[in-house]
Amino acid sequence: MLEVKNLTKRYGSVAALDSVSLSLARGEFFGLLGPNGAGKTTLMSLVTGIRAADSGEILLGNVPFMPDDIAQRAQLGFVPQSIALYDELSGEENLRLFGGLYGLRGALLRERIAEGLAAAQLEERRHDKVESYSGGMRRRINIVAAILHRPQLLLCDEPTVGVDPQSRNAIFDFLEKLNDEGMTIVYSTHYMEEATRLCSRIGIIDHGKLLALGTLDELLTDLPFSEQIRIARNDSTTPHLAAFERFGKLNTTDDAYVLTPAPELRLSEFFSEAERLGIASRFFNVTRPTLENVFLHLTGKTLRDS
Amino acid sequence: MRTILILLGNEIRRFRSDKTALSLTFLVPFVLIYIFGNVFGVGRPGGPAPTGIPLAVVNQSDSPFGTAVTAALQKEAAFKVITTHKDPAGQEVPLTEARLREMIGGGSIRFGLIFPPDAGGDQLAGLKLKFLNNPRNEIETQTVVGLLQKTIYSSAPQALVVGVQKAAANFIGAESFESFSRSLADAIAGSFGGDPQQVYESIKSGQLNFGGSPTGAASTGVDSFLQSLIKIESEQVGGGKVKSPMATRSVGGWAIMFLLFSLSSSATSLFDEKKAGLFQRLLSAPVRRTHILWSKYLFGMLLGFVQLTALFVAGRLLFGIDILSNFGNLLLICFAASTACVAFGMLLAAIAPSSSAASGLGTLLILIMSAIGGAWFPTSFMPEFVQQLSRLSLVYWAIDGFLKVLWANCTTLELLPTLAVLFGIAAVVNTFSVWRFKRGNIFD
Repeated sequence: MLEVKNLTKRYGSVAALDSVSLSLARGEFFGLLGPNGAGKTTLMSLVTGIRAADSGEILLGNVPFMPDDIAQRAQLGFVPQSIALYDELSGEENLRLFGGLYGLRGALLRERIAEGLAAAQLEERRHDKVESYSGGMRRRINIVAAILHRPQLLLCDEPTVGVDPQSRNAIFDFLEKLNDEGMTIVYSTHYMEEATRLCSRIGIIDHGKLLALGTLDELLTDLPFSEQIRIARNDSTTPHLAAFERFGKLNTTDDAYVLTPAPELRLSEFFSEAERLGIASRFFNVTRPTLENVFLHLTGKTLRDS
Repeated sequence: MRTILILLGNEIRRFRSDKTALSLTFLVPFVLIYIFGNVFGVGRPGGPAPTGIPLAVVNQSDSPFGTAVTAALQKEAAFKVITTHKDPAGQEVPLTEARLREMIGGGSIRFGLIFPPDAGGDQLAGLKLKFLNNPRNEIETQTVVGLLQKTIYSSAPQALVVGVQKAAANFIGAESFESFSRSLADAIAGSFGGDPQQVYESIKSGQLNFGGSPTGAASTGVDSFLQSLIKIESEQVGGGKVKSPMATRSVGGWAIMFLLFSLSSSATSLFDEKKAGLFQRLLSAPVRRTHILWSKYLFGMLLGFVQLTALFVAGRLLFGIDILSNFGNLLLICFAASTACVAFGMLLAAIAPSSSAASGLGTLLILIMSAIGGAWFPTSFMPEFVQQLSRLSLVYWAIDGFLKVLWANCTTLELLPTLAVLFGIAAVVNTFSVWRFKRGNIFD
């Protein structure tokens, strides 16, 4: 569906995107995970033709993508990070405008608008100005405006920024439904929970470079550990930090110590030592690694730190 | 083209949905035209003139001169004559010089006229009076002085003639002047008939209506006397049939200034759309940058054309400007002026780095262009080099076009050079703007 080869974009001396390559299959839900400023939006703007790459190639359906070819752009849908709607117009008027720009008209346009408003649960507010909508409603119609023409590839640039959990879930359901219907989706985010829930494959990007690419399991498998031990931070555990550090790398968080066991360690050895030290087992919790661990492993920093 | 039309329709829909912008676009110019029109006396039959300026008068003289001038000033609409004030007991008493000076010094009144005891000029040549003022506004002061001169010269002429006679008597001696006056009276009576003594009395009193009806007004006699000395014949050879000439001369300048403000703010909306991320969305759709620019340009032209037309309709309703007798050409020049004005607005958006910068720069340029282009006052008031510079301003050419249509009733052929200049300005400015847009970051 989409193939990106050695894509590079520089702003002055800063490489916003540095020789990025990736390939998406039709119907895939692809996540682009990275902190703010990692290059996600730049990659989106190159794929949508808003900006031109300095070098590299984009293939859309095995055909070289030409930013000036507006017929090719009609195959895409783009949900920008900002709420790119005309506030002074109603939700329906906005949809009529963007649907019209993609060539929809007449009964088909009306039908698609009705479907979109229903999917976004905004039928009753269709004639209200967008400026009167809540943040979640604006985000939902921001997505609907990009899918009226049923694009083959939908690019969503952090579409849930500033949205409450309830609206976020509604957006997730909406996007999953579109993906189930066969739409290929590229979803950029700096929330690993979103990428974990939605995406069948994830690319991790930072400083313009694609650091890793694969399914969640593949990314986690690449980690040098398969579990972590979370140790409660209290008067019972804190005096024994030196003992814990013998079993692996110990990181301190606000409320716990996180032990990443050494590769050769067997967990039974650790718990035997804990029992010998007289520390209650309720202070320990074995966890599976997450994308956060992957990002930390790849970049040496957490997504939040970035 | 369909994309441009969709975007143009969107611009119109947004404009219509913004009730504030809609009312400001049409209502504010309408109100301002009404105010300016009245400031410049467009609506008044006598043309531009102030009314009701407070003028305090203290008459310390017994001479008829002071009484006559005071009475004339009271009839003059430009002045509200004050001759009394309330004393501490609340009684209306005649103004004194001391009180008048106090009032003017304190700023409660700006202009005062004092007829001193020797106002009639018994010993000295001519007439005497004192004009006191607190000139907070130089133009107003000059206007008042001019109006005072006009009123005095036209309403108390016999006093002026008496003053001249006294000056002559002082110069050649009272007896010689008496002898001269009597000889003159005898000669007039001998030549034109009448009683020599009556003619002598008329000359002495300054009522120079010799040869006319003895009951005729003094001013009429002097007028005819002066007019017989200096005869100025005035003939208006152009615009004679123009209704509401003052408004017709002025409305084009005001209209084009309002239009420039309106269209420059419309063009700076590009920055707001960029900030909202709308260009990213539009440019990811099958829309080119040129589509966006053209839709903006066409909307500006449409808005400008409708606004200019509305302004002239307002001029017709408020001041009776004749817009119908050459309506086709008026629409043509409105269209050309709108084209040039919207190009100016696009230029602002193309060269300014931000909305606020565009707004500030726009205000500066519009005020300069309006000033040198003749929107506020005739270009002939300005230095020669500024007059040459004004020809580079679209305001100058728009006003020229409006005057050609409304004042001179020109044909389309006669209007062509002005149209060509306005369209030329639009083409050049647009070409430059597009060049700038390509290099700028408005669409990034």
